[in-house]
Amino acid sequence: MGILALVLLVVYFLPLTVFARHILVLTLFYAFMGTGWNLMCGYAGRLSLGHAAFVAVGAYTSLLLFSHFSLTPWIGMIAGGLVAVVVMMLIAYPSFRFGLIGPYFTLASIAVAEIVHYLLIYGRDLTGGSLGMSLPYVKETTIINSLINLQFDGKEPYYLVILGFWLVGLLVTWKMERTRYYLEAIREDQDAAAALGISVNKNLIIAACISAFMVAIGGTFYVQYFRYIDPYSIAGFTLSLNMALVAVIGGSGTLFGPTIGAFLLIPLTEILRMTLGAQIPGLHLFLYGILLVVCIIFLPKGIASLPGIIRAKKAKNDQKPENQASKGVL
Amino acid sequence: MLLQIIASGLLLGGIYALVSVGLNLIFGVIKIVNLAHGDFLMMAMYGTFFLYTVQGINPYVSTLIIFPAFVLIGVLIFRLIIKPLLGKAETEVNTIIATAGLGFVLQNLALMLWKSDFRAIETNLTGKSYEFAGIMLSAGRTWAFVVCVAVAVLLYYILMKTKVGTHVRAVSQDTEAATLMGINVNKIYTLTFAFGIALVGLAGVILTPTFYVYPTVGLYFNTMAFIIVVLGGLGSFTGALIGGLIIGLIESFAGVMASAELAQVFSLLIFLIILFVRPQGIMGKSARV
Amino acid sequence: MAEKILAIENICKSFGGLLATNDVSFNVNKGEILGIIGPNGAGKSTVFNLITGFYPIDSGSITYKDQRIDGLTPDKICHLGITRTFQVAKPFPGLTIADNILVACLPKAAKVSDARAKVDEVLKIVSLDKKADVLGADLTTLERKRLELGKALATNPEILLLDEVMTGLKPKEMDDMMDLIRELKKTKTIVIVEHVMRVIMNISDRIIVLDHGQKIAEGLPKEIAENNAVIEAYLGRGAKKDA
Ligand SMILES: Nc1ncnc2c1ncn2[C@@H]1O[C@H](COP(=O)(O)OP(=O)(O)O)[C@@H](O)[C@H]1O
Ligand SMILES: [Mg+2]
Repeated sequence: MGILALVLLVVYFLPLTVFARHILVLTLFYAFMGTGWNLMCGYAGRLSLGHAAFVAVGAYTSLLLFSHFSLTPWIGMIAGGLVAVVVMMLIAYPSFRFGLIGPYFTLASIAVAEIVHYLLIYGRDLTGGSLGMSLPYVKETTIINSLINLQFDGKEPYYLVILGFWLVGLLVTWKMERTRYYLEAIREDQDAAAALGISVNKNLIIAACISAFMVAIGGTFYVQYFRYIDPYSIAGFTLSLNMALVAVIGGSGTLFGPTIGAFLLIPLTEILRMTLGAQIPGLHLFLYGILLVVCIIFLPKGIASLPGIIRAKKAKNDQKPENQASKGVL
Repeated sequence: MLLQIIASGLLLGGIYALVSVGLNLIFGVIKIVNLAHGDFLMMAMYGTFFLYTVQGINPYVSTLIIFPAFVLIGVLIFRLIIKPLLGKAETEVNTIIATAGLGFVLQNLALMLWKSDFRAIETNLTGKSYEFAGIMLSAGRTWAFVVCVAVAVLLYYILMKTKVGTHVRAVSQDTEAATLMGINVNKIYTLTFAFGIALVGLAGVILTPTFYVYPTVGLYFNTMAFIIVVLGGLGSFTGALIGGLIIGLIESFAGVMASAELAQVFSLLIFLIILFVRPQGIMGKSARV
Repeated sequence: MAEKILAIENICKSFGGLLATNDVSFNVNKGEILGIIGPNGAGKSTVFNLITGFYPIDSGSITYKDQRIDGLTPDKICHLGITRTFQVAKPFPGLTIADNILVACLPKAAKVSDARAKVDEVLKIVSLDKKADVLGADLTTLERKRLELGKALATNPEILLLDEVMTGLKPKEMDDMMDLIRELKKTKTIVIVEHVMRVIMNISDRIIVLDHGQKIAEGLPKEIAENNAVIEAYLGRGAKKDA
């Protein structure tokens, strides 16, 4: 992790084109979002395709606080994160309480995102409805003020910010080692986990809340970086799906899976978009979709599972002779 | 006025029910969520659109082409995408992701081929209404409703009275037991998937005269179809019909009283509540040994 | 006199119209092996589910060391010192055997590293040390049963509830399992549900018999073997008497 961070820090100093930097920022953004998604959906296996709801809540909260009260996005993102946690509790508590699992949980998550989407359109007096909202641009002369307002002229500072977010996201996940094991156990067999002394609901809710908080913070970053949001792009199904995809393709339920997925998928889509999107609209996403389907069919546990698969195969083969010998001996 | 709202709500509900029947079948029997469901609907709508504008084939007649074509497409998709994913630990997640990817492919295929324009066809039913005891019924939607009821009755007959139907029900209840009884589960799955896709194709045909066609039209119907499937209960076609009618009525009422967005929010809230409080049949297995 | 560690008093549980547990009372004494027998569907597993909080009891009380534990969630009960195994073993299929055991060690370990340090020891006890890297999904029936036992042991319980850990094993494997359970008895109290008469008669200090959700007999193995009601419950339904 440290090495990777160092490499990425060095990249900062490379003389890259604006487009290349943009791709890097986006990649790290999705790596961060996928890491947040992964905590609940990968480790605990509750597949959410509605995480954009929390992104939107985070983004709109900090944006509204900034445009109405000039509150710095740094505090705004904490506020947005907390609101997202509240929204998550509204859905997570009954879901876990009533034992909503498998596709039913996924459908519920989609519904929550749709509700947020429609409410954002409905509250047009505040949110601008489907036309969206722009971030009030503040022309700054001092670095301190730029930092406080989290608005910069070039792409480089955003790169550093998102690099930091992503690192913190990984660190948080890594530090939660015990919880990660609990979540995996809960994912594999909830009853067996409970019988061993693992509090199912408590751990699921912890994971869900941290997950919502993280992607909500990502929402604030999105606003600051793109300076414009609308319900379709920030609460829509595509964003939800993309978070899930980077994690699943990379390997959900693994520390680096979402990052691997993001580094593979995002540059690919962006380059496809650049080269093909302009000539034939849709072609790049068409190819992207095909790639996804093929990936899922041939590597259902994601790229990060490759070493594990190889190791397990080896362990199985190694065991065969001894297995025979030890038969009948308990 | 009240009767008018109810009548339009019922007609809309019938259409929703028709859209969701195929999803219900696939969900109920194979236990997979087909997120590309609405996109198959969209493809069928484009098919109908072009058969009409290019070949001059009446939308209702084009059923004869679309339905068998969609059976074939269904078989193909099942063989290529769904079957390799079945029977593994990650089946649920992966089929959802794979069908979402498939939806992406179909939407963007449509975008590439036909641009994002909204298209509509005019038939001899367009704009026409039937008047019935002072209530105006849109002709297109009335026919859609009739087809929906016919499909429901036909499906009920097939599932309850034919041998294939018995097999499908057996597989949907317990695949292992069905296998022991000598039923070819794979064949039933293929059949169910193909038929489910063909039914949504049929729905697409029926919708074309009264709805705009555009690449992402499926997304709208997708959410609706899922709500109805859960609302009505898995594998229950009367349930789908009733669920469709309820949602149609809610939309029709809320659309008049509040705003279109609140109507959606309201339907979605009902959907969530049903998911939470009606665990039987919609909750995964929780039996202990 | 033996020290009472778990007291079950008049517990009832019905599923719909079916009384799966009907006014059952018994005590578990510290350090003993208590056998529970009864025909299929008698309600043995249900009693385990009730003790460990997987189902709420309809009425009655369950007291562990002077503390009422009915109404607590399964994880809390495990923390208090009661761990059960499942009749149909429940390995975590996507985790390796070592991780299966690690997860079981964790809830009572202060640090993750403490739990890690315990894994090998537990794996050795249940003879799965050579399988540490194999996935839970890839085990044989016998190995699943051993893993089930290993996970329960990893929680270091005071009372171990074993639900049919012998079913499906070959005679030799049963003997090994019995030796292991006798070994465990030195430090733990054990309640064991078993179908195989040879095992239960051999291993238990006391036996209670359930039939149709009711306790129909209680006593020493010898007494149970001669009890008419028990013989009827088994033979009356054509269940074959083992050994
Ligand atoms: N979750 C449940 N729902 C409904 N009935 C159940 C449930 N669990 C057990 N039963 C019923 O309770 C009775 C006792 O079951 P069980 O305790 O598993 O028997 P045993 O373990 O003695 O074979 C059986 O008739 C069984 O069908
Ligand atoms: Mg049992």
